[in-house]
Amino acid sequence: MSAQAEVLQQAFTLGYTYTRTTGPVVGRFLTALRDRKIVGIKGSDGKVIVPPMEYDPVTAEELSEFVDLPDTGVVKTWAWVKHPRGKHLLDKPFAWAQIQIDGSDIPMIHMVDAGDESKMSTGMKVKVRWADETKGFITDIACFEPA
Amino acid sequence: MAELAAVVGIGQTKYQTKHKTVSIAGLVRDAALKALQDAELTWDDIDAVIVGKAPDMFEGMIMPELYLTDALGCNGKPMLRVHTAGSVGGSTAIVAASYVQSGMFKRILTVTYEKQSESNAMWALSNAQPFSVHLNAGAGGFFAPIIREYMRRTKAPSDAGIKVAVKDRLHGARNPLAHLQLPNITMKEVEESPMLWEPLRFLESCPSSDGACAMVIANEELAAQSPKKPAWIRGAAMRSEPTMYAGREEVSPQAGIDCAKDVYAQAGISNPRKDLDCAEVYVPFSWYEPMWLENLGFAEKGEGWKLTLEGATSLDDKGDIPWNCSGGVLCSNPIGASGMIRFAEAARQVRGDAGNHQVDGAKLALGHAYGGGAQFYAMWVVGSEKA
Repeated sequence: MSAQAEVLQQAFTLGYTYTRTTGPVVGRFLTALRDRKIVGIKGSDGKVIVPPMEYDPVTAEELSEFVDLPDTGVVKTWAWVKHPRGKHLLDKPFAWAQIQIDGSDIPMIHMVDAGDESKMSTGMKVKVRWADETKGFITDIACFEPA
Repeated sequence: MAELAAVVGIGQTKYQTKHKTVSIAGLVRDAALKALQDAELTWDDIDAVIVGKAPDMFEGMIMPELYLTDALGCNGKPMLRVHTAGSVGGSTAIVAASYVQSGMFKRILTVTYEKQSESNAMWALSNAQPFSVHLNAGAGGFFAPIIREYMRRTKAPSDAGIKVAVKDRLHGARNPLAHLQLPNITMKEVEESPMLWEPLRFLESCPSSDGACAMVIANEELAAQSPKKPAWIRGAAMRSEPTMYAGREEVSPQAGIDCAKDVYAQAGISNPRKDLDCAEVYVPFSWYEPMWLENLGFAEKGEGWKLTLEGATSLDDKGDIPWNCSGGVLCSNPIGASGMIRFAEAARQVRGDAGNHQVDGAKLALGHAYGGGAQFYAMWVVGSEKA
């Protein structure tokens, strides 16, 4: 009987570089962020969706009716992060929240910097804190803060 | 198969180096909408959507089916994705057809695509693996030695590959959707283009393209109601074999031979050169035409290059069995879609709807795709009549 062969293992890392084109709808949303503005889009059922979708979630039709929105909104629900990790974008405790931008119907997920969990509540009003430098990324909205 | 199925709608984007103004979803959607329009249908008429694309690493997009649900009108409908490397366009069409043939769905939208301008296909298709030397060859480097072996065995003259490169580009010049438009290409120009992977020159290789192709496949009852002529699916087959087995016959892989035999038997074809009116065959590098002519039974072993040089496969030379009238993969190569384009172009021919690259009176056509390391095969035969 021969000895059983050792089963070898090796870690390996694989990485490539790619490009993405945003298209006319998401591209417009991101371009507006760069100008410190928020745009949504109107769906077939009349609901305003932000960030905008290219295609109607109900009928699949192409959407094109953009709606200019303010940079204020309402917290619909939230979860407090007591101990932010290195990858989190805020280095102090904050809330992940579903925020319904005023004039829109479908909430979006972003962060709220309220300082303390006791300052957070469902239904609270918030406004955008813009990044110092805007680039056309979703992080142009640095976070929301109590309004 | 229980039910007959037919192609009732075809949609293709223009194939080009870069579609700058659309997202991937927008590109795929364009082909899908054109297929619906061709079939005079709407999203509501579709029972299920079956999508295919080349390996995830090519574009770095994991689960494209998830991202494309809204763009393809899948809300409330089944959505499936097919994977078989470069042959995926063909196997996706066959999976879609088989769902109709089985009676599971009555009318399916099937779509494939690639946005090579946003991808990294060249290197992602020969990625490094632990415990192995990195081949790092890309597709041309992988296939060139196999082509050299074909040339050694058959003593084919080097201008057979050049002839294919010219012939397919002249075909492509008849097709406004084709990526490369080279109506004045010459043998000399191809011969003088840079040698990339001996014996393959730059102009003997396929381009990198953005594009998408879609089809609507319906059962017999719904196909009979379609406003345009259906292309009846007369046979479909897929075969695979193990890429990494060094003892494999790579010049004329057994899986390709078996797949062709199967699809011909279903379609009642005994002599493919005589019985078929034309073929759309996956030829990404010039020499694959003579190689596949033999593998698919259009020529005797060792004789494929003679058909090519005689002009048998050329529309312009009035050949008896034109291959790749659309310009083929040598003119347009959005990898994930390239197989489906072959299948769709075969269907266009038998629908009499192939425009300036139409083969007069085409009644029976072959669509062919291969992928992996010449490891996956997908083929169908479509006809203007049901049987």
